[in-house]
Amino acid sequence: MTTAQIRQRTAVLDADIHPAIPAARLASLLAEPWRTRYQTIGTRVAPPPAFYPRVRNGGMRLDAYPANGIPGSDLKLLRDQVLDAYGIGYGVLIPLQSHTFGAEQPEYAQALCHALNEAIRQDFLDPEPRLVSSLCVPHESPELAVAEIERYAGDPRFVQVLFPGGAQASLGHQKYLPIYRAAAAAGLPVAVHTGGAEHHRADGWPSFYLEHHCWFGNVMALAATSLVCEGVFEQVPDLQVVLVEGGISWAAPLMWSMDAGWSRLRQDVPMLRRAPSEYFREHIWFSTQPIEEPADPKHLAMALAQTGMADRVLFATDYPHWDFDSPDTALRALPKDLRERIMSENAYRLYHLERP
Amino acid sequence: MTEIAGKITDTDVHCAPASIETLFPFLDGYWRSYVTDANLKLSPTFGGAYPPGAPTSAKPEARAAGTFPPDNVEALRKQLFDTAGPSRAILNCTTSFDVSRNPYYETALTRAVNDWLRTEWLDRDDRLRASMVVPTTDVDAAVAEIERLGPDRRFVQVLLPVRGQDVRFGNKRFHPLLAAAARHDLVVGLHAWGKVASSPSPTGFLHTYLEDYLSNTQIVQAHVVSLIVEGVFIRFPALKICLAECGFSWLPSLLWRLDKEWRAVWREVPWLKEPPETYLYRHFRATTEPAHLPPGDEQLSQLLEMMRIPEFVMYASDYPHDHGDAAGRLLAALGEEDRARVLSGNAADFYR
Repeated sequence: MTTAQIRQRTAVLDADIHPAIPAARLASLLAEPWRTRYQTIGTRVAPPPAFYPRVRNGGMRLDAYPANGIPGSDLKLLRDQVLDAYGIGYGVLIPLQSHTFGAEQPEYAQALCHALNEAIRQDFLDPEPRLVSSLCVPHESPELAVAEIERYAGDPRFVQVLFPGGAQASLGHQKYLPIYRAAAAAGLPVAVHTGGAEHHRADGWPSFYLEHHCWFGNVMALAATSLVCEGVFEQVPDLQVVLVEGGISWAAPLMWSMDAGWSRLRQDVPMLRRAPSEYFREHIWFSTQPIEEPADPKHLAMALAQTGMADRVLFATDYPHWDFDSPDTALRALPKDLRERIMSENAYRLYHLERP
Repeated sequence: MTEIAGKITDTDVHCAPASIETLFPFLDGYWRSYVTDANLKLSPTFGGAYPPGAPTSAKPEARAAGTFPPDNVEALRKQLFDTAGPSRAILNCTTSFDVSRNPYYETALTRAVNDWLRTEWLDRDDRLRASMVVPTTDVDAAVAEIERLGPDRRFVQVLLPVRGQDVRFGNKRFHPLLAAAARHDLVVGLHAWGKVASSPSPTGFLHTYLEDYLSNTQIVQAHVVSLIVEGVFIRFPALKICLAECGFSWLPSLLWRLDKEWRAVWREVPWLKEPPETYLYRHFRATTEPAHLPPGDEQLSQLLEMMRIPEFVMYASDYPHDHGDAAGRLLAALGEEDRARVLSGNAADFYR
């Protein structure tokens, strides 16, 4: 079999590709008064790269800069470097700009997120059938977020609702429940991607990008703990949550700690009818990049087996970021059948996509 | 500490004054009137950390004794030492953890707690050692307290709360404190819970005690990473850190992630000469409680393969707190020699 044929057979699904919408394009899609506001004042919520500089090629693959513009903004380059290069079956777009846009003043946040969704639809999804996308929502204004979910519910190319790890409250907070309910009603998972507004009220501020990036795993662990312990999965039994770019191997120890705590503190969480690990296993999914790399590679397979969730792991490249994982070389430490499910099968099942 | 053959060293035993008035002999007139005027009481839940009714807050024998944690050495003897207990115990008093944001009050209160520990506990039972508490909102005052009590060999540790520092403990702000501890060969103990003004999650207050309880195991990881990557073990090679009541089974995953990322963005922390894992096992230890273990023997042996538990973990009863019987299960899974290290050898090597 040729490489091309093998690729066709496995039809990798990439669960984390970052498009970027240039400011001028975004402005062109904003209605007034938001366009003038955006062009004269801008936005208020600072994204993490503003204070944790990415000291690795500015955070990007060096070859991902188009001749004009920013990495992730050029569909042709994205095709060349990801979709065509690896025979990708589908790529899931995750536009990070909404992580902070979604925390702006409610109507403004809605307008910005809607402009992002329109740019994604017109500039990426319409011309490229191999791309699907996450839906940007003003997550801090749940009623408006619900409206945006309903607006796109008829477009099957929007395959999940996007949420930042750095929201203004813990993800199990009841204020977000309408978003979870609307996503579940539309048959869409909620994808939690690292980033958004940065908070360190418990742990203290780190000094370096290295720490900030390492903490992503803990951000996901805290998000999952909050969703499970505050009973969100009892309230929205159909909700599925994808934790993107936060690693995986912390999940088993987290489940051990949640179950150990719960077994002694059940009266504190009467809304939970079962052990926390049961909710976790039935509702949580992971993406691979950046996956932990033990010195002994077999420990990774062991850690995955301990979760009992290998069928809920999705391969991701994280294009165009510097720590891009190539579909050709990633996850080679895993047994073949497990790797194939992660590269392809699991994600097709989650997103109800047909393999090409 | 010298090892006593066949004996147990308990590295996390709690005591607390019964009331703020207990500390009055160790507070000056200004602070006594400050406390009285503000009608300050000690928090019955230790700032939400240990609600008295929570099953995790007290073992049955502690509950039966009425007052927990023990507020006098006689009670501790009866409850801990007389019942096939340890030959030595390190007292951790977290009474000052949740105090107000006034750094001068935190300084006065921590100093009073230390003097109370000395007078009412260390002077009365030579099996006891203690952690001194220091103000984290005034590093100069913390250094002064370490200098004052450092010569008293019965203090073996400087205890810091993991939650609610504005920056992580590896930050430059804390270097004088870490240097002073290292100078006196005092272990720096990072203990669960902390400033009640700061929420247990990065984003805010939570709605369940279960989440608060679990948050310590996440927060402590931030400090571990910070201490390693800020290079404090290169500046202060004698510095030792004990992670108390924060779990330990999260370690393999954290190290796999940190080692990988350090190899990629090392240029941000050029002073690190060895992989993070090397600093971790050289400078850190953790207490056994709470032990969050996998179900089943097979996964437990996998955990033992993934991390160096026999050298990393030190036995602690965490008396009077009750996290279940997992630590007993861990000890039972170890060979005789490893069990002895966890029960006393590691602590004997680690503490002065």
